[in-house]
Amino acid sequence: MQPDGSLQVEDTVRGVLRDVLGLSAERVADFRADTPLFGALPELDSLAVAGVLTELEDRLGILIEDDEVDGEMLESFGALTRFAAAKALR
Amino acid sequence: MIDHYDWAGGREAMLRFGPATGPVVVAALPLFEEANRTRAFVVTILRLLAARGIAGALPDLPGQGESLMPTHKTSILKMQDAFGFACDKFDREGRNCYAIGLRSGALLDALALAAGRWHLAPQDGPQLFRELTRIKQVELGGRPLGDSWYFDNTLPEEAGDPPVEIAGTPISTDLLTDLQVKTPFDEPGIPRRVVRLDTDPNPADRKVDAAPLWRRAEPGNDPALAALLADDIATWIRTCES
Repeated sequence: MQPDGSLQVEDTVRGVLRDVLGLSAERVADFRADTPLFGALPELDSLAVAGVLTELEDRLGILIEDDEVDGEMLESFGALTRFAAAKALR
Repeated sequence: MIDHYDWAGGREAMLRFGPATGPVVVAALPLFEEANRTRAFVVTILRLLAARGIAGALPDLPGQGESLMPTHKTSILKMQDAFGFACDKFDREGRNCYAIGLRSGALLDALALAAGRWHLAPQDGPQLFRELTRIKQVELGGRPLGDSWYFDNTLPEEAGDPPVEIAGTPISTDLLTDLQVKTPFDEPGIPRRVVRLDTDPNPADRKVDAAPLWRRAEPGNDPALAALLADDIATWIRTCES
C-alpha cells in the first residue's frame, strides 16, 4: 500500500512533466515507473531539467539541493517520483 | 504600431496598441529565455486590452528583443532605467502608466513613475539566479557549482570577468551578482496586484487555473488565459483610476 500523499506527488510530477516538456495529458498519463526520462525524451534538455526541478520545488514546497541533482533521479518516471515523494512526504 | 523611445543609453523599439489617450499599460517581459516564450502571449494581452479601450506598450529593453545592445552588456539597472524612460514618454503626455510584469519582468519596473503595478507569477532575483545556476550545473554534467561559480578566478584581477554563457545566452557577471538582491517593487500606498497560477502556493490577490507557458521550450500562447488576464487588468485599472 502506498503512503498517504504519494499518489498526489505522482500526479504533481506528471503535471510538471506535462507543463514543462509540453507533452500531452494522454502521453503523460501513460508514464509508468520504468518509463525512461533523461536521455530518452528529447524535450528534456538542460533548460527543461532546471524547469522540472524548480517547478517540483514550487508545487511541492520542497528544496532540492545542488548535490542531489544527478542522472539517477531523472533516469525514469519512477525514480523522479520516488525522489520527490521522499522529499515531500517526510 | 511600432514606435520607439529614447533612454540614457540610446533608442529602443516599442510596440504600441490601443487609443492615444487615457491610461497606458507598459509591459515588461521576463529576463532571458522566458522573454521569447511569453512575447506572443503578452502581445495578445495588450491587443485584448486595446479592444477594451486601454492603451498598451511593449518596449524592447536593452539586451532584449530587437535591441542593438548585446545581452552580456545589459544590466538590471539599464533595463529598469530604460523601462522608466518608456513610461516617461506617456507621463509627459499626462497619461497614467500601469506597469505589468511577467515573472522576472516584475524586477524591471522599480524606476518607473507608475500609478500601479500588476505582476503575473512574479519571480524574484534569487529564485532566478538559483534556476540559472541549476541550468549551468546540468549543462556542465551535474557537478554542484558553489556560490561564486560564474567568476573566472584564473584571470588577473584587472582583466575583468568575462560573461558567462547560460543556455546559449551570454550574461554579465555583474548582472548575476545583482540578481541575488533584487525583488519586485512593492511599496505601501502604491497599488500592486499579484496574480499567480493555481499550482503556485505563494500568496496572490488571485489564482488562475492555467499552465505556465514560460516553461515551454516552444514559444506558445494561451488566448483563453490572455482574455481572462486582460479582463483582470482592465477591471483593476478602472478601480485604480476611480
